[in-house]
Amino acid sequence: MLKTLIKTAAVAALIGPVAGAAFAADDYPSRNIEMMFPWGPGSAFAMAQIITNAMGDELGTNISVVSTPGAAGVKSFNTALEKPADGYTLIDGWVAPLVLQPLAGNTEFTHTDFTPLWSATRVPFAVVVRKDDERFPDYDAFIQYLKDNPGKARYSSGSIGNIPHMVLAKMMQTEGVYARNIPYPQDGDAFKDLRGGLLDFSFNDPITFQSNKDAFKTLVAFTNEKDVAAAYDENTPTLDDLGLDIGLTGLAPSGWNWFLVHKDTPEEIVATLNTAMEAALNRPEVQERLKAAGFLPTMYPPERYEEIVGPIGDQIAAAKDAITWEAEQLAK
Amino acid sequence: MFDILLAGLDSFQSWQVIGGVILGTVIGMVVGVLPGLGPLIGIILMLPVTFHMQPVAGMGMLMSIFVAGSCGGAISAIVLRIPGTPLAAATLLDGYPMARNGRAADAIGLAIASSALAGVLGGVVMILGAPALASVATNFGPPEYFALAITGLLSISVVSNESTIKGLMTGALGVLIAMVGSDPLSNAARFTFGTNALSGGINIVAIIVGLFALSEAAVQILEGGLRKKPEVQSVRVSLGSLWMALRHWKNLLRSSAIGVFFGALPGASGIIASFTAYAIARSRPLKGDAPYGEGAEGGVVATESANNAACGGAMIPTLALAIPGDAATAVLLGALLLLGLVPGPQMFALSGDAVGGIFLAFLVSNIVLFFVGMLMTPLFVRVLRVRKQYLVPVVLLLSIVGVYSVQSRVDDLWVMLVFGMLGFGLRRYGYPLAPIVIGLILGPIAEGSYRRTLLFSDNGPWFILERPIASTILAIDIIVLILTLTPSSLRQRAFTLFRKWRA
Repeated sequence: MLKTLIKTAAVAALIGPVAGAAFAADDYPSRNIEMMFPWGPGSAFAMAQIITNAMGDELGTNISVVSTPGAAGVKSFNTALEKPADGYTLIDGWVAPLVLQPLAGNTEFTHTDFTPLWSATRVPFAVVVRKDDERFPDYDAFIQYLKDNPGKARYSSGSIGNIPHMVLAKMMQTEGVYARNIPYPQDGDAFKDLRGGLLDFSFNDPITFQSNKDAFKTLVAFTNEKDVAAAYDENTPTLDDLGLDIGLTGLAPSGWNWFLVHKDTPEEIVATLNTAMEAALNRPEVQERLKAAGFLPTMYPPERYEEIVGPIGDQIAAAKDAITWEAEQLAK
Repeated sequence: MFDILLAGLDSFQSWQVIGGVILGTVIGMVVGVLPGLGPLIGIILMLPVTFHMQPVAGMGMLMSIFVAGSCGGAISAIVLRIPGTPLAAATLLDGYPMARNGRAADAIGLAIASSALAGVLGGVVMILGAPALASVATNFGPPEYFALAITGLLSISVVSNESTIKGLMTGALGVLIAMVGSDPLSNAARFTFGTNALSGGINIVAIIVGLFALSEAAVQILEGGLRKKPEVQSVRVSLGSLWMALRHWKNLLRSSAIGVFFGALPGASGIIASFTAYAIARSRPLKGDAPYGEGAEGGVVATESANNAACGGAMIPTLALAIPGDAATAVLLGALLLLGLVPGPQMFALSGDAVGGIFLAFLVSNIVLFFVGMLMTPLFVRVLRVRKQYLVPVVLLLSIVGVYSVQSRVDDLWVMLVFGMLGFGLRRYGYPLAPIVIGLILGPIAEGSYRRTLLFSDNGPWFILERPIASTILAIDIIVLILTLTPSSLRQRAFTLFRKWRA
C-alpha cells in the first residue's frame, strides 16, 4: 500500500511538470503571476503595481511585483530568465538592464532575447542646480563655468554608468567640458547633497523637482518635446530651445520601461497578456495616476518594440563612450 | 499645527479612514511579529488594496502598517528571542531577559507603550517642523554620515556586554558580510564568485532570521524539556505599562529625540537609532531598574521609543523633500504620489484637508497601536505556554515562509540556513550576535560615505576638517575611544590630576 503510494507520487512528480506545460496555455492564467522588478521598492515599484494591478483585474488573477535589486538591475532579469517561459513571470524591462548593461558587456542577453508586451512609461531627465546659485543663471553660463573650471565641479547622476550618467556625460562631451560624478546608493541622497551645497549640479526627475521647487531650477530637460519638458515647469528649456544636439533623440535620453516576457513564452499566452495590458493602460485612472507621479505613459504596442528600441540601442552605444571620455579627462 | 489637523478632521472622520487605520495596525503587528516579514512587506502587500480606497484612508492604512510593523518585531524579540524585524535586534538585549525573569507581559506592555508614546512625539515633530528639520538634514553630507557611522560602530563595545573583543570581532564580520554584492560606487561585482545569487548582496532579512531564529531553535531543542508544559502565569489586559513607561520619561524623551534625528537622516534608519539610544541609556541607568543586559526596563524603553520615533522622523524628508530614507518610506512616497499629492514644503503650507487627514491618521495610528497592542498582549504571552515540541517547528516554518516571501528566492533560504549554523556556533562560544547587525547596517554607510567624501575632496581625507559637524563628531569619537582604551587606573590618576589642576 505504502509502496504504491510512493510510486504514484513519484510518477506524478515526474510527469506533473510536463503535463502542466502542455495544458498551461488553455487555462492561462490559472495561478498568480510574478513581475520581476529590477530596483529596490520605491516610486517606480508603485507604478509597476498600478499597471500590474489593473492587468491582474483584466486577467482575473493576482500579479505580485517582486523587487530583486542588484548588479544594476541585471539580477532581476537573470532571475526571470531562470524561471520557466510559461507566462507566469513578467519582467519590468527598464532601459538600464535591458539596453545599457548588455552594451557594457555585463549580460548574456540583449534586448532581442525577450518577447515584448506593451511599453509602459518614461521619465524625462533634466539638469538642475540650486536656485540661489549665482554661478549658474542659465545653461550657457553653466557651460562657461565648467569650461573655466575643468574637472572642478561635482555632480551626481545617482549611480555610476546609468542612463542619467550617460546623458549628462554626453551633453558635457558635446560641449567639450567635464566634471566629477559622485555616485550615491539612492538618488534621493544626491538631491539632498545638491540642496545642502556639496554638489554643484545633478540630474533630476519631474517629481523630485516638483517637491524641491523652492530650492532647485532646471537648466535643460533632455527632450525635444515642449510638453514633456513641461513635466518640470513651463520655463524648462528643451534641447531644441537651446539648439543642442547631443545625439540622443526620442526616448533615448530618458528613463523608460517596457514590459517583457521570456522569448519562449507560447504565443497564445503572450496574446492574452497583451490584450490585458492594453486594456489596463487604457484605463483612465491608470493614466491619471501614472502622470500624476511623473511617469508618462508611452503607449507603444508590441509591434513597435524593435523599431523603437533598436535605434535607441545604437544611440546609447555611441553615447556610452562619453562616460569613458569623462573618465579619461578626469585622469589627466 | 492645529490648523492643519483641524482642516484634516473632515476627511479623517469617516469609517473607511478609521477602519483603515485599525486594519493597518493589526496587519502591521502581524508582519512585525512574524520573523522575516516586516513593515515593508506589509506596505507592499496592501498598496494595491489602497488603489480602491479614498486617499486619506489608503495612506492612513499604509502608515499604520509602518508604525505598528516597527513595533511588532519587539514582541517576538521579547517572547522568543527572535527579532521579528531587524529594528528589534536591540530590543532583544533586555527584552528577552525580562521575559526570562517572568516579566514577559511587562516587557511587551513597555515596548508597546514606549513605541506609541514615542510615535506620537515623532508625529508631532513631523507635523510641526518637517520643512525646517528637512533643511537641517540637508547639512548632513557624506563626511557627516561617515562620522555618525563611526559613532555607531563604536556602540558595539557597549552592546556586547563584557565581551568587547568578541563583539568587535562579530561586528567586523557584519561589515565583511555587507561587502558582498555590487560595489556601492562603481557597481562592480564584489565577492560574488561570479554568481547571480550574490550579485545583489546577501539579503539582510535572511541573515538576521538565520542568525537569531535558527540558532534559537537549536538552543531550545538542546536545552531539552520539549514535552514539558512551561509554567507561565496568564495575564490580563492592563494599562499599567503606560505608567511603567512614563517612569522612564527622561529615557523616553531622549531616545525619541535620537529616533527622530536618525529617522530624519535619509539612509540612517531606526536600527541605528535604537542601538544608539540603547548605548546611551545604558550609561545612565535608572535607580531600581535591573542591570542592563539582565532585563532592564530602560533597555526596552530606549530601543522601542527610538525605533518608533524614527517613523515620524523618516516621514520628514519623505514629505518635505520627496527624499525617502529607506525602502518602506520610498513605497509610502510612491503611494502618496499615486494619490495625487506632491510632497514638498508646499504640502505643509497648503494645509489641504487631505494632508491634515494623513497627519491625523499618523498620530491616531500610534494611539490605536497602544490599544490594539494591549488587547493582544495576553495572546502573545500565551505563546510562552506552548510546549516546545509544537512551538519550535511552527516558529521554524514561519521563519522559512517569511524569508522566502521577501524576494521569492530559494537562495535566501540557503543563506538563512548557513547563518543559522553560524549563529549557533557563535552563541555556543559566547560571541554576541547584535554587533553583526550593527556592522551589516553601518559598514556600507561608513564605506560609501568615506569614499564619497574622498571624491569630493581635493586633498584626501582632510576634507572632513573643512566640515565642522563631521569633525566635531569624529573628535568626540576619538575622545570616547581613548577613554575606553586607557586602563581604569590610569584614567583615575588623570582625573585626580585634572581635579588638582582645577583646584
